[in-house]
Amino acid sequence: MNKLYYFLTVNIMAVLLVASTNRDAPIFGFENGTPAIQSISALAFGPDGVLFIGDSKSAAVFAVDTKDNVAVGKGMGVEMKNFDQKIASLLGTEAKNISIQDLAVNPISKKIYCAVQSAEGIPVLLTIEGDKVLPVSLKDISYGVVSLNNAPAEDAKDQRGRPLRVWAISDMNYANGKLMVSGLSNQEFSSTFRTIPFPFVNKQDQASLEIYHAAHGRYETYAPIKTFTTAKLNGIDYLVASYTCTPLVLFPLDELKAGSHVKGRTVGEFGSGNSPLDIITLTKGDESVLLMANSSRPVMRVKYKNLEAYAGSLTEPVPESYATAGVDFVTLPVVNVMQLDKLDDSHVVVLQRKVNGDLDLWSSGDRWF
Amino acid sequence: MHLWRYLVLLFFLGSCSGRGDKTSGISILWNEEHAISISIPRSYFAHVRPDSITDVFRVHLEGVDQPAILGDVHILDDAVEFEPLIPFTPGLTYDVRLAGASFAKIEIPLADMSDPPVLSAIYPTSDTLPRNLLKIYLEFSRPMQEGQSLKNLVLLKNGMDTVPAVFLDLKPELWNTERTILTLWLDPGRIKRDLQPNQRFGEPLERETAYRLVVVSDWKDTRGIRLKQHNYKDFFVSVRDSLSPDPETWTIGAPAAGTRNALIVDFHERLDAVLCREAIRITDADGNSLSGVIELSAEESIYNFTPEMPWARGTFNLQCEARLEDLAGNNLNRPFDRDLTITADPLLKEIFNRKFQIE
Repeated sequence: MNKLYYFLTVNIMAVLLVASTNRDAPIFGFENGTPAIQSISALAFGPDGVLFIGDSKSAAVFAVDTKDNVAVGKGMGVEMKNFDQKIASLLGTEAKNISIQDLAVNPISKKIYCAVQSAEGIPVLLTIEGDKVLPVSLKDISYGVVSLNNAPAEDAKDQRGRPLRVWAISDMNYANGKLMVSGLSNQEFSSTFRTIPFPFVNKQDQASLEIYHAAHGRYETYAPIKTFTTAKLNGIDYLVASYTCTPLVLFPLDELKAGSHVKGRTVGEFGSGNSPLDIITLTKGDESVLLMANSSRPVMRVKYKNLEAYAGSLTEPVPESYATAGVDFVTLPVVNVMQLDKLDDSHVVVLQRKVNGDLDLWSSGDRWF
Repeated sequence: MHLWRYLVLLFFLGSCSGRGDKTSGISILWNEEHAISISIPRSYFAHVRPDSITDVFRVHLEGVDQPAILGDVHILDDAVEFEPLIPFTPGLTYDVRLAGASFAKIEIPLADMSDPPVLSAIYPTSDTLPRNLLKIYLEFSRPMQEGQSLKNLVLLKNGMDTVPAVFLDLKPELWNTERTILTLWLDPGRIKRDLQPNQRFGEPLERETAYRLVVVSDWKDTRGIRLKQHNYKDFFVSVRDSLSPDPETWTIGAPAAGTRNALIVDFHERLDAVLCREAIRITDADGNSLSGVIELSAEESIYNFTPEMPWARGTFNLQCEARLEDLAGNNLNRPFDRDLTITADPLLKEIFNRKFQIE
């Protein structure tokens, strides 16, 4: 009899152990269900295969457990001509009826994720591996969500009807347990940058970021950040941000706290009529470079050592001698890059509009250094 | 089950391999104006094992080498439905296949062209605008397709020259949730003083110059229907505006108690049409917001608030969020770009209050 109890106990324990290590169990306090995602404006990967989906239309970020967490050292190269037409055919429409919203590469599996929006405004999430394109279901999944709305002020809509304001997510990045989100408003011209701890808790820091204009530090402004990355320069973590008015600006990360007002320092300017699209960091040996794709300029490359050389005096305006040149950068012979992401440590994945009008997706390596 | 689905239209073009007697009953399911799935009677699948229907049933765009469309297959008692990830496109023909063999072609009809979208307003409405104008809002009668703006907007100088790269190329564009209001920014890099684009190319708009904004009718709404017509806005560019709006200088015309007459606030300058509606509210002595209707007049320089209930006697408050801007992006706290050698430190108030009495 005792043997039977022992047998049962061992079995029950074994079942419990299996259940507790099962990857189907929610992680990071997620719930199971179908998130009400209205749009996908930005994608970024967090830890353990978690994909952050920035939804501007519902002013929220969804964190989705992709369960795509088998580590791979090198990403599978990709070479897909007429990428938009291929995607459009798979969706049963023509290329003019879709827009590619964002690409992100899972740093664990090195799989490419792509957000597409239809002419009707319906978001679709796909993965790309080699020449295979597969849909990612967002139904019955494990997810968490955090709202980006300012609680009291934006709830008070009694005399104004439906809110007209959109907090358009311009970029997202995850680093050191924090999701960072930059946003543009469709109303006021302002700089809003949020730091949200992950796993999500009911708390987020919002800092207003101020920059000096390059010359003399005479004018200052609160422009919105269009795209950003984080980097360690001389041992200090920085936010490296590019603005709608095209300067490249550095902010020490540890100064970006709730309600804080931080002065950043412009280290470069990149010309008129241009909106930066993506910034990434590539590392080769002990050298890192920053790559920036632009709406109407070629891809630009900045060496981190040059940025470090600028990082001496953080609250002072850019010295006058640098005012016109800014940090040294190299213009790469690659134009019309709409999306730029890091495939692995030394490769990039690029979505490029070719001269003949084709939109091609391809990956590349050493030529970017 | 799927109560929101309703059958509106049956549109069937043809079939192959002698199945003509069974072809009726194929239908398109619509949600509002979007063809969200097709429904095929189970009779088409009479020879297919129910558990292998999802393996052999595919829908393709018509044409050679078209891949199977991504979507979900729903097997119901009397029909099999195919729901693509995005709605079928009006005007395109789809090929329905079983085990690779086409058995029906379905054309999705075009939307009702008799109800095209219109551009209902362009803000600012004034025909004289500051040289450092920051934003233009376009308001449409229906939800529009995104990513079309720069293709369909032209700014003409003095009636002849096209002004290049005047609007910022933002991806994605700044639409409201309903996709009916688009915010356009004039390139802020060229407006901000001392930035390289400003120094090299100057401000996007020149003083004492006439411009015409043309909105081309090729712009389509989410149903794929073009704007009813080309639209124009003519304006003249005046001096730079580098001053923050100051609520202390506004004139408040308070109506009499017991009436539902409008409260009239004269800003003495033109302010941002969207922010005027969003960033200002009227509160009573206890801080409760009043319900009512907001109208802007005199080219967005006068704010009219008509309350739902008659005015009570007492003290009220005009509450204004600091983010309220004028046409050049100067807000209540600070100008668009602050000249550190002239202007004082920015205020850091979130709300500006102006009290007024109703008697």
